[in-house]
Amino acid sequence: MKSHLNEIRRARPLLGTLVEIGAAGKNAAGGIDAAFREIETVHRLMSFHDAESDVSRINRASPREVLPIDHRTYEVLSCAQLMSRLSAGAFDVTVGGRLAEEGFLPRPHGSESFDRNASFEDIVLLSDNAVTLKRRAWIDLGGIAKGYAVDRAVIALKKCDVASGIVNAGGDLFVFGDSQPVHVRHPEETSLVFPLGAIRDLAVASSSGCFSEHREPGAATDGLIEPRRDLRVNWQRSVTVIASRCIVADALTKVVRLAPRRAKKILSHFGAQALVIDRRGVRVFQPTENEAQSGVFGSMCLNRSHPESTRGSNCLSGSSL
Amino acid sequence: MRRSQWVWVPAACLPVAGISVSVYAATYLTVEQAQQTIFPEQKFSPAFLTLSREQVREIERRSDANVRRKEIQVWNVSGGGYFIVDEVVGKHEFITYAIGLNADGTVKQIEIMTYRESYGYEVRNANWRAQFVGKNASAPLKLNKDIKNISGATLSCRHIADGVKRILATYEIALK
Repeated sequence: MKSHLNEIRRARPLLGTLVEIGAAGKNAAGGIDAAFREIETVHRLMSFHDAESDVSRINRASPREVLPIDHRTYEVLSCAQLMSRLSAGAFDVTVGGRLAEEGFLPRPHGSESFDRNASFEDIVLLSDNAVTLKRRAWIDLGGIAKGYAVDRAVIALKKCDVASGIVNAGGDLFVFGDSQPVHVRHPEETSLVFPLGAIRDLAVASSSGCFSEHREPGAATDGLIEPRRDLRVNWQRSVTVIASRCIVADALTKVVRLAPRRAKKILSHFGAQALVIDRRGVRVFQPTENEAQSGVFGSMCLNRSHPESTRGSNCLSGSSL
Repeated sequence: MRRSQWVWVPAACLPVAGISVSVYAATYLTVEQAQQTIFPEQKFSPAFLTLSREQVREIERRSDANVRRKEIQVWNVSGGGYFIVDEVVGKHEFITYAIGLNADGTVKQIEIMTYRESYGYEVRNANWRAQFVGKNASAPLKLNKDIKNISGATLSCRHIADGVKRILATYEIALK
């Protein structure tokens, strides 16, 4: 692993969390500035709370009203719709309505109500970056926009000729150029961290319900709702997903939790890997040994009772897509 | 042919050397560096002030935040505007940050200067760490301060957001 002595790091409060950006090279400072500006733009476009965001305009829209939106919002909605189709609706951005009812989100500006029958199938993406809804719905992109912002920040860094860096938005991160060691935090024992090994050209996203403000005794709950059955999901485990794009890793952390039976197939579809940490231990899912990502957890899986555990290289690299 | 598998790894079998106890801390900018980052090529003259009791009351009322310190670290910026260093303390974190205000009191830019997690007594206590060591392990769980890239639940920015609201109210009451 190369030295990071010439890497500079900056952090700003954005996306409701702390976003840290590291970059190495002669245009590092300029690249970091451009990357933070791109994240601010994504935040502005997709904030549920900002009355002028694309999300708020969608949430105020009448059925069949055609709304032009930013190409970035369109990209996020396209990915969200794909996740919804693959998970048969377990992942669904129209869950914003129920989140508002439960108090996790405020009522959107200028909108009195939403149609309880609305689902992702009522979102219609039109050509030329426009969208329309078949029913009134309140969408929330909180489960996917952070990962997208990380991807956009990386693009901004690369456009500034930054060859090597990392963007970490509150635990959803992407490393490119030189590999860097990444650890995953234990969901309950917050000072314990597990090593993933050295990561390069890949995204890592984690999801857990531990630091929610709506905490009930004995169970960690957060605003994760299973839309089809309207159940609030209680859980004390964390899911970490490694994928080639952070928007995918971010969304898949929810899909793995909400659609466990389809999770393996969906992870394979994206060539992604998942790690679940809970009280009982660590579970790892690797789609196939043919993929470049195989063997990453070799050092973690090795134990005396399973001598045949895979022992691969300890540097995990994404394929360049 | 694709072969998928779940690999079950009981926590007790994880090599102890892999798990670390981490108290993450990072210093991003000194005061001078933060000044130059937010207001490149400007000059800064210190204009530190101490809030009166009435000002503290008014700021707390407007921002709905506690004023923990009456001393405000503020510099006037040569091209107009203000550079302020503030700190917020959360349940698990201590953050020093710099906020640049435009001449009209709007936020120009915010940069974190230092960030420190604090899990207090337990993490430094070897007996607390011992509970995570499996029966086969020979080495105790070590405290590792060099871990810098962490994926996992992190805390929201609520405290910084509250700090910014307090600073903006401070501008209205004491700087304008």
